Amino acid sequence: MSKRFTLNELLIITCAREIQDHQNVILGVGLPTTAGALAKALYAPHATLMMESGIIDFEPLVPLHHIADAHCCRGFSYATDLFSAFTMTYRGFVDICFLGVGQVDRFGNVNTTCIGDYENPSLRLPGSGGAADFISYAKKTVLTLRGGQFVEKLDYFTSPGYLDGGDSRDASGLFPPGSGPGMLLTTKGVFRFDPETREMYLAQIHPGVSVADVKKDVPWDLKVADPLTETERPTDDEIDFVRRFAPSEALGREAAAELAIAHAAGKDR
Amino acid sequence: MVQDRQNKVMSAKDAVGRFVENGEHLIIGNYTVGTCLELVFEICRREKRGLTLYSQSGILDVDVLINAGCVDRLVTTYVMRSGGKSGGGAVERALQAGTLEMEDYTNFNYNARLVAGMHGFPFMPVLEGVMATDLFRKRGFMGDDKYRVIECPYTGKKLPTVPAANPDVCIIHVQRADRYGNAQYWGSMGSVAAAALCSSKIIVSCEEIVEHDVIRSSPHFTIIPAFRTSAVVESPWGAHPTEVLGYYNRDTFFYAMFARANATADGAAAWMDEWVYGCGDRKSYLDHYCEVFGAGGLERLRAKSFYSAPANYGTAYTSLWDENGRNRVLGLTLEEVEREMAERGLLYE
Repeated sequence: MSKRFTLNELLIITCAREIQDHQNVILGVGLPTTAGALAKALYAPHATLMMESGIIDFEPLVPLHHIADAHCCRGFSYATDLFSAFTMTYRGFVDICFLGVGQVDRFGNVNTTCIGDYENPSLRLPGSGGAADFISYAKKTVLTLRGGQFVEKLDYFTSPGYLDGGDSRDASGLFPPGSGPGMLLTTKGVFRFDPETREMYLAQIHPGVSVADVKKDVPWDLKVADPLTETERPTDDEIDFVRRFAPSEALGREAAAELAIAHAAGKDR
Repeated sequence: MVQDRQNKVMSAKDAVGRFVENGEHLIIGNYTVGTCLELVFEICRREKRGLTLYSQSGILDVDVLINAGCVDRLVTTYVMRSGGKSGGGAVERALQAGTLEMEDYTNFNYNARLVAGMHGFPFMPVLEGVMATDLFRKRGFMGDDKYRVIECPYTGKKLPTVPAANPDVCIIHVQRADRYGNAQYWGSMGSVAAAALCSSKIIVSCEEIVEHDVIRSSPHFTIIPAFRTSAVVESPWGAHPTEVLGYYNRDTFFYAMFARANATADGAAAWMDEWVYGCGDRKSYLDHYCEVFGAGGLERLRAKSFYSAPANYGTAYTSLWDENGRNRVLGLTLEEVEREMAERGLLYE
């Protein structure tokens, strides 16, 4: 029996396993950075880790606060700029990227701009940043949803997944053939996209979660893989790495913030 | 060659007073890191109004300017959320109050506007995937000019384009500059150089002013040449609480305190009163910081050195005349060259 693990550890490790050796990987902040560090340490030593701010081939020393974090500038191979980071994506040099989701529809189209009306939103989300560009031209995109929602119709269409499903993405002529979201990872399971209809289905389910738990978040009749397997358990090596590299992420944001504030308060006394 | 080497060093107060006007288009040069907060705070303190603000990615800088009421229009790709689902911060509040108009781009497409502007082109073709999205379909105050579609003259393919951006003034923080305005920056390049160079006026703040010789021995770090710079402001810790590579780390705790305060209008106003309006300049801001958090607070953030390997810019010689005064190509002294000129009848009376 291997070590016990937190949900966040499972998510990070499941993401990391999508990265293959020798790939060029665009990382975002938070979960993807830790996933990239883990993959690089354990199974993709030749991967080139990149940030859209133009930091190419960096060594993750500590978890990053943002995509231009000074900590990823201490020793890296190629200092280019944002413009070139995207044109290299456009030209097909990025194998995989990771994007967070505010709203997602059944074809993997994503909203990260606003909830409600665009000009008078009930929630103003961060916006596209590089998301719409990356999901358009990276060879493969991994979507992560934590705290976001599944919807029939996006309040704002920020980033293109499989558009209207079927072959509509490839037929549009706007994207490299075969690109698009490969996986959606949530706190409950792993979703993948049917190769014909391009509709997402539940491919794997996390330990302790039922199909009914998953379905209650999804407004359409969600298809489920048959047989449905459980998300692979992390190995001890993977758990040890994540806990040492990013204990705050392993704990989760709330627990980590509570402990950090207690620590800071202790310092003042 | 005679060069106009004008000393452009001045205070943040003078720089903002002289070079930022109400109603102008203002661009923040920095991208998510080491942002020009002393200049941002000074713009707030001087109560500039009616600005159209450009930012590649808004963090504390954009929210502070909007909290201060300086901004009518915002062009960006990304805004910070301060309070999770309970409150998004200044941009969300201003949109809900109807005091802010906004134009959303993707990171590349925003950057392409600066690159077009920097090089003097009227527009730039951009990545066509955006045409499937609401970023393309929904137009704000730019209307039809947000994106226009052309037919590629070579392939016939439909290409979206964005118009050049040429803001009136760029504010930007860098690691070091000389007093003439040669600005050096390293680390995450983002769209920093393009943001500065597409603008008409450039206000540079820096961690330290260095001798001109330092610049001349490391020209690959220079992102803005002196002749483009309007003002140089020396402002140590001028980007705090964001980080500056090689100088200091991000002040995570203080940044989180800002985010918490900024989640509500009242919290934001109190934070602005204490840290922006309550401090006349960066020095009094830093003094106040040390009063509140102790003098060791900043020291804990200071970067440990990790120097770049020096690059060899050397050449075989630096004069055409060797140590004996002979020209390396002709093998003659200057007197001998002149004698040749006379003997060959090349000299006019």
